[in-house]
Amino acid sequence: MLTVTPHHFLILAFLLVGIGFLGLLVRRNVLLMLMSLELMLNGINVALLTFSKVGNNLDGGIFVFFIMTVAAAEVAVGLALLVALYKKRNSVLSDDMAYLKN
Amino acid sequence: MISLALSMLFLPLLSALVTLLFLRKNGNLASLLSVCTSAGILILALSLIFGFEEDVQAWDTTWFAMGGWELRFGFLIDAPARLLLFIVAFVGFLIHLFSLGYMAHDSARPRYFGGLSIFMFSMLGITLADNLIMIFVFWELVGFSSYLLIAHYFKTDEASKASRKAFIVNRVGDFGFLIGIVLTYWSFGTVNLIELADLSDFSPSLVTTSLCLALACGFVGKSAQFPLHVWLPDAMAGPTPVSALIHAATMVAAGIYLLLRIDFLFTDQALGLIAFLGAAMGLYAGFCALVQKDIKKILAYSTLSQLGYMAAAFGLGAPGVALFHLTTHAFFKALMFLGSGSVIHACHHEQNIFKYGGLRNRMPITALTFLVGVLAISGVNFLSGYFSKDAILLWAYNFNMPIFIILYAGAILTAVYMFRLYFITFEGQPRSESATNATENSFLMTGPLLTLAVLSIVGGYFALYPQRLGAYLGPDLAVVSSLPHHMWMVVLGTSAWIIGLLFARSFYWKVDQVDPLTRRYPGFYEICQSKLYFDEIYRFYVDKIQDPAARFLEIMELLFISGLMVRGSAGVTALFSMLAKACYVGRIHAYIIWFMVGTLGFLFYSAVLLD
Amino acid sequence: MVFSKNPVTAAMFMIISLVGVAALFVLLDSFFLAVLQVLVYAGAVMVLFLFIIMLLDVGPDVAKQKITHWRFGILGVLLSSLLVVVLISLGLPSDFSGANNPSWPVLSDAISSGSESLLFSTKVSAFGYGLMTKYMLPIQIAGFMLLISMVGVIILSKKVARGEDV
Repeated sequence: MLTVTPHHFLILAFLLVGIGFLGLLVRRNVLLMLMSLELMLNGINVALLTFSKVGNNLDGGIFVFFIMTVAAAEVAVGLALLVALYKKRNSVLSDDMAYLKN
Repeated sequence: MISLALSMLFLPLLSALVTLLFLRKNGNLASLLSVCTSAGILILALSLIFGFEEDVQAWDTTWFAMGGWELRFGFLIDAPARLLLFIVAFVGFLIHLFSLGYMAHDSARPRYFGGLSIFMFSMLGITLADNLIMIFVFWELVGFSSYLLIAHYFKTDEASKASRKAFIVNRVGDFGFLIGIVLTYWSFGTVNLIELADLSDFSPSLVTTSLCLALACGFVGKSAQFPLHVWLPDAMAGPTPVSALIHAATMVAAGIYLLLRIDFLFTDQALGLIAFLGAAMGLYAGFCALVQKDIKKILAYSTLSQLGYMAAAFGLGAPGVALFHLTTHAFFKALMFLGSGSVIHACHHEQNIFKYGGLRNRMPITALTFLVGVLAISGVNFLSGYFSKDAILLWAYNFNMPIFIILYAGAILTAVYMFRLYFITFEGQPRSESATNATENSFLMTGPLLTLAVLSIVGGYFALYPQRLGAYLGPDLAVVSSLPHHMWMVVLGTSAWIIGLLFARSFYWKVDQVDPLTRRYPGFYEICQSKLYFDEIYRFYVDKIQDPAARFLEIMELLFISGLMVRGSAGVTALFSMLAKACYVGRIHAYIIWFMVGTLGFLFYSAVLLD
Repeated sequence: MVFSKNPVTAAMFMIISLVGVAALFVLLDSFFLAVLQVLVYAGAVMVLFLFIIMLLDVGPDVAKQKITHWRFGILGVLLSSLLVVVLISLGLPSDFSGANNPSWPVLSDAISSGSESLLFSTKVSAFGYGLMTKYMLPIQIAGFMLLISMVGVIILSKKVARGEDV
């Protein structure tokens, strides 16, 4: 019988981080990039919680809590910035925002 | 006691801050605030002086500590401190009042009164400070506020140059003072005045001539003694009340006060040198004052000369007499400066005495009070200057004959140039339109004059001094009264001012637009006018020696430091920055890739290399 | 989610994966965090995302364009698979006892030097206890940060409005 070990959780967490990172790299839509970031954070949350559970230590869980807090704040600010940018540039593509150079 | 002293010290600073932050545009409110502050200082100072029984009040606390070393912040309120505190607070208050009238039409009153408040703060600091480092801090602060106030009319070339000159010349003296403080700390291990006094009693071998001469550099700079006297006459470019407060009554006297505070550190050689320099200054400044045309410059040179008297008294071992003269001088010199301010104000900022004349009829109160000041400084019997100056002369007569002769010649000269000033300004006929139309000023300006005139008359009667104020003067003055040759001294002193009066009467009673001395003794006039070429010598030094040296150093610096080290390191940095610039492509995806490469590198490092 | 052309579709997939993660939390006995995950992420954050997607109207128009540059596509696939491989090969500890883990010296130091360790618990009160004792300062900082981000968002959105006027 296949038992679920912590390793399976960790592999899944790493995959989530990897997929998030892939999204971050390949998408040009800043909205989608933000979403990918959230996905990466979720992967990290899963890993943290796994360690917390297996190590019998609540610190990891509390960290997950903090990460959620920070992520929510980050999304709010990020989206506000995005809206501000969109109103200036009329686009949400990262290529159109590359005007720091030149 | 502490809260009283602290609030007195920081009240003017607070007022200056408020003026600076909120009242920059509101001249009326700023001047009112400043005058109220000075009144508050006067009240606090009086309660500090008379409200306590102890003869010496000392208090200190840690200012800041570095490792095992700490800097103390403390007050030492003893007899001389109380007397100076009284002078500063009282004369300061009168001059604030006078400024209300004098500066009434000035557009930059907030700056002026803010500067006055800063000055009051720092001067009180010097008066109360209980250690040399604190004195030095406030010493620099008075220098700074003096700079601010001299440069009040900074749009004129004269004022801006004079302020710079005052600041730089003072820096020279302060540098010596700083070295002195370091030496003191090195050899005594403390800069606290009480501990220093105990230590120097305990082991006299620690007291050396070089040490006290270095400390005396501070006095030479601040009290404008030879050879750093050149800044004081130029400092007259500032507003007249400032000259009265800073450059006559208090700040320059702080130099003498510093000497009193550390008198236990002085060796006989150093004292002799100070006495001789002081006496020489008394005579030299008299000659300079004799030929000046600017009313304030005459008074400035007279201040120099009187400071010389104080230094001579200190050098001859009579610090109490020096402080006595400082007190009376603060009264009558502030009186004369304010009187000259009143004249200048009435004559629309005309300062040339040959453009005055006949002002006695137009400005009776000013003329009368000014005459009191002139009589007092000349040592006319039973006025304040008579007691203090003749005490110095008598002391010198008994202990050091050469210095007595110099000082006596200086006393005659004082009478001559003072009566000259009075005759030319107030007697005769008006010699310009502004003098013809001059009228007496408001009570705001004559009130302080009258007060100071009364003090100039009675300030010499030591018996009138409350015990709390005069405690420091008592012993030395008792010695003076027990010295021999008293009657002879009275004759000499009286003849000095009578000679001066007659001389001035014969020369200056009826003058026109030129100084009669130029016609009769042109050579003598020229020499006095040149002030012995001190300014020229310093200019030569700066131009021909200091500037080339500075230029040489600059070339060395350009070649080695900035060429090799600064530019070289900048080149390396530029190389790196070009590399980094290549990474800067402006696309967020590229940055993500860089970031992830970094992360992977870190993982690799931590997992493989650290293992 | 990553390769869906329509952002709304991507967001829906995202919600599914978030709920999945919540399920994983349940499997890990962290019921409180699972609830939070659903509430905060699926509930608040994703709604915000969808709201912005609709506000900016980035649906069909953007969807027609290429979703990516091929260079970044290839690089992205390569790098992220490298990342996953590296993580899996290095990141899986052989045992979870913490202190004696040889492959993570830094981590084991940190774990062993922890002064008071909170034991894992499924109870919410344990969370509350941990947050109010050991993590008192962090939670206050987090609260302050939330406030700042709120202020920041308000200012950002105001500025744009002013920019439109001009």
